[in-house]
Amino acid sequence: MAQKRTFQDYEADDDPKKKSKTGEIIREDKQQERDPKRNPYLAHMYNSEDEEDGGVGLNGFASNGQAFNNTYHSYTRGKSLDSFTRHRTTSAQASKAEDGPENPFTGNPLSEKYFGILKTRRNLPVHVQRDEFLKLYQETQILVFVGETGSGKTTQIPQFVLYDDLPQNRGKLVACTQPRRVAAMSVAQRVADEMDVTLGEEVGYNIRFDNKTSSQTILSYMTDGMLLREAMNDHDLKRYSTIILDEAHERTLATDLLMGLLKEVALRRPDLKIIIMSATLDAQKFQTYFALEEDKQAPLLAVPGRTHPVEIFYTEKAERDYLEAALHTVLQIHATEPEGDILLFLTGEEEIEDACRKINLEVDEMIREADAGPMKVYSLYGTLPPHQQQKIFEPAPPPSRPGGRPGRKCIVSTNIAETSLTIDGIVYVVDPGFSKQKVYNPRARVESLLVSPISKASAQQRAGRAGRTKPGKCFRLYTEEAFRKELIPQTYPEILRSNLASTALELKKLGIDNLVRFDFMDPPAPETLMRALEELNYLACLDDDGELTVLGRLASEFPLDPALAVMLISSPEFYCSNEMLSLTALLSVPQIFVRPNNNRKRADEMKALFAHQDGDQLTMLNVYHAFKSPEAQANPKQWCHDHFLSLRALQSADNVRTQLKRIMETNEIQLMSTPFEDKKYYENIRKALVAGFFMQVAKRDGTGKTYLTVKEEQSVLLHPSTVLASDAEWVLYNEFVLTSKNYIRTVTVVKAEWLLDIAPTYYNIDDFKKGDVKTALIRADERIRRKKALKGSR
Amino acid sequence: MTATEASAPKAASKTEGDQGEEEEEDDYLSMAIIEPAKSYQKETYTQRRIRKQHEAESKNPKSKAQLATEAAAAQAQSLSTAIPQTSKGFKMLSKFGFIPGDSLGAKNNPHARMEPIELDMKIDRGGIGMDSEKKRKFKDAVEEETKRAKLGESDFRERVSREREVERLERLVVGAMKVAERMDEDERLESDRGTAGVAAELAPVVEESEGLVPEPAASAKIMAMPTKNINVLWRGLARQRLEKERDRRMRHDLMQSLSRNSNYIDDEADSGKAALETAEEEVEEDDPELEEFNALEPDQRLQKLVAFLREKFHYCFWCKYQYEDANMEGCPGITEEDHD
Repeated sequence: MAQKRTFQDYEADDDPKKKSKTGEIIREDKQQERDPKRNPYLAHMYNSEDEEDGGVGLNGFASNGQAFNNTYHSYTRGKSLDSFTRHRTTSAQASKAEDGPENPFTGNPLSEKYFGILKTRRNLPVHVQRDEFLKLYQETQILVFVGETGSGKTTQIPQFVLYDDLPQNRGKLVACTQPRRVAAMSVAQRVADEMDVTLGEEVGYNIRFDNKTSSQTILSYMTDGMLLREAMNDHDLKRYSTIILDEAHERTLATDLLMGLLKEVALRRPDLKIIIMSATLDAQKFQTYFALEEDKQAPLLAVPGRTHPVEIFYTEKAERDYLEAALHTVLQIHATEPEGDILLFLTGEEEIEDACRKINLEVDEMIREADAGPMKVYSLYGTLPPHQQQKIFEPAPPPSRPGGRPGRKCIVSTNIAETSLTIDGIVYVVDPGFSKQKVYNPRARVESLLVSPISKASAQQRAGRAGRTKPGKCFRLYTEEAFRKELIPQTYPEILRSNLASTALELKKLGIDNLVRFDFMDPPAPETLMRALEELNYLACLDDDGELTVLGRLASEFPLDPALAVMLISSPEFYCSNEMLSLTALLSVPQIFVRPNNNRKRADEMKALFAHQDGDQLTMLNVYHAFKSPEAQANPKQWCHDHFLSLRALQSADNVRTQLKRIMETNEIQLMSTPFEDKKYYENIRKALVAGFFMQVAKRDGTGKTYLTVKEEQSVLLHPSTVLASDAEWVLYNEFVLTSKNYIRTVTVVKAEWLLDIAPTYYNIDDFKKGDVKTALIRADERIRRKKALKGSR
Repeated sequence: MTATEASAPKAASKTEGDQGEEEEEDDYLSMAIIEPAKSYQKETYTQRRIRKQHEAESKNPKSKAQLATEAAAAQAQSLSTAIPQTSKGFKMLSKFGFIPGDSLGAKNNPHARMEPIELDMKIDRGGIGMDSEKKRKFKDAVEEETKRAKLGESDFRERVSREREVERLERLVVGAMKVAERMDEDERLESDRGTAGVAAELAPVVEESEGLVPEPAASAKIMAMPTKNINVLWRGLARQRLEKERDRRMRHDLMQSLSRNSNYIDDEADSGKAALETAEEEVEEDDPELEEFNALEPDQRLQKLVAFLREKFHYCFWCKYQYEDANMEGCPGITEEDHD
């Protein structure tokens, strides 16, 4: 499992605080610590695909209007690379150029800081294998590179490539993709420092809403979604000479699509080099997948990381209550194990906060009665405000009295601590074996986050977290037999757990004609694609033959779920595109309402101030308008705090709105509003919602509290957070929440007449099964006819 | 339409007054036009309410647990039902060359998924391993519920006719077994006549008993032979006979012991003894091969027998005729339908 450390600790030679963990942790830059967006610890904060933020994946914003600059760079360059022949260089040559004195890429003299970092870089595990890497890179078109955490692959490999691929001589770029926005930003900054260049010049990043590259850029770190967007406009990705897909083992939707796409591009562009980088050792699958000729696997290079052995403990029998067992284990460790911090994995915010409270209570008692050392407990999850996340890096508390037992910290986290961020000092990991995962079922058309058993690979990753600084222990709260028999080997890739409506639209835009035969690494179930095509057809994005329509083409310009995009595009028909723009932004960011456990009542009262009787979407819009008022903008932070709103989410919505507005303007979609005094102001907004969300409608079942989703007939309840009283006959919902009960969250009241009028194909009465829904639709249809007849007779 | 539903627009009218009134009015009209159930029309509101109330009372109200199970079963049902081929999505996918049973992606990708990932809802805090047991039980319960619901739906007549068909097939199986046994015996006798010596060598005991008992040779021989040597296709017959014989003997022995006459020696009883012993042993013994054969559905057993008869004896069970050669000219086919 955990590998014995074979390399000398490269951090030891420097100031111990100055830890440069290959782009994962950069502490030296004070500037970065202050700006949360730049903070590499907070990678998860700005990732819209975080496990708990139900937001729409905005990863990879449209690259509209972005010029693909293919002109040669005209700035002065160093001479040290002049003698280099492309794809014929060695590590000795590169080392010499790196030693200066002038910067090989800018010609400027190299700084002292540069040489300091260079020393550290040369101690990284990957450096030892630079020649080996170069040889394979030069020989093959597609290379699989496996480097464990801490090997330095993310920062070093792209630089190795630069010295050999020399993109600056051909006006090309090297791209390195990252699944997370913040990783792309922080790694780019780190590499810019390592290369002694200004971020945004030779080295830049390109992520949704933030493009920090220029015509000088030769290395661009970007989100996988961003590269995918670029491929929509340039199917062959002609500006790149080498494309590196990093963290491929995470198997995000965008990475999976890129892999399938690059396989095809590789055939069309023999000059393009591709490197697939993964942190896990199941590289075989990548090698086989990228076998361009039959039986000729892509070559593999593996570099070991730096980890300490981790001892694994299992329970003797299955636990009746994993939460209780977890708390018990944590306290046991605190009472009996030597110094070292604890990391406990749980599934969600509520569970984590609850656990923290309980641990705190117990520890207080332990200190009082058994003279235990102090223990500081921190929670960690995606929706936690940044300054609170930051706290997990505070050092463990000192002994409560001189000579007393040492203190420690305990971090209770979701699986964001599994891969996305690294906390040093963890020696004990407690793993109950669950995480919240997105699942989608095309049969019931339900996409939801569910608590599910983790995979074996995940369990190993979790255990590995205990061995970052010294040998550690991992306590698995299940039996060894359960580990072997119950856990699946690998976590299902995102593509198997997602609604593929956006994906199908993207693939079409990427020029993939036959969606059935697109070479997915893990082909999803046919039914998932069926559902996606059907949905796109109802949204009029694809015609009956599965070809893109004008609307579909336009919708694919928006980095949004197709339903949201269609809603936005059709909003001028309802005279409310300004409002829908705001609403789309609000629906694309994490929850704007804050409801702290210790102050729920007050929070609910505050929310009631904004409540609109007809729906949560309208309520959100009220919040946004209030937020934009001069009164609130005078001191937004205070205003949000007073009203129990998330400033971060609102600001983020503001930003998204600006970006979406730009796309609207580019595509000449009219921006307009119904006057607020008009009594149809809210009605128009509700109708515009129907234009996108007509497939997410539920009808009240009889007189009870339950609703039935219209076509799939799933029995659902209104989520307790709604502002609606549960007596509306028809509601439109934004989200289906699957728990022991099924909830629909963020709902707005609509009318059957609107459904029939705005989405006549989907609401073709003949297609409905006999029953309550059908009867109600027939009645509504009659009402429409009668009204028309009345009008006609007048 | 229920009485309570009719009041729903009233609730709505709180927010939108004019709309509510209109809906109520429409309601009546729409009923008249669309709903063919004329009896509804003539009822006054009060009458209907009373009738509904009676109806509701006559039904047993469902318990919460029952409702929950039903909802769970309904959900499980919808999750386990594939998207029908009549759906728009299926048609669109077909236009890309998709055929049912196919997977997406490159041909022969071993990782291709055929079915969506199951939605496994965790409803408690049981640790890993604890849940699987419970979940299985829950699933079983849901399946049971679904099955029961289905059974209730299916027509009584259908079920009866299905049972009758099974009975009929069982009878045919017995018939075919008898035919097979008889033909096999005939063949054996035929060859015995030719090579009596070999037969004698093979079953000396049988020869002895044969000499003593002037019973039909073949059946005695079969009775004496260990049943495992008999073709499994009709071994059941022989075994049944053995069991019957044993029962008869036991009854006989009982009678004898009650009124035994020491002078009287029952030839018959003695002569059958050897056979009986084997029979008793046999009956006690397990016969997995036979069990396996008997576990098959009657139509499968029949099919096997019919095929055997055709192959070995050129006999068609449906024509009831033994043909000259393997071509079996004149026989319309192998199945019963062919002979209709």
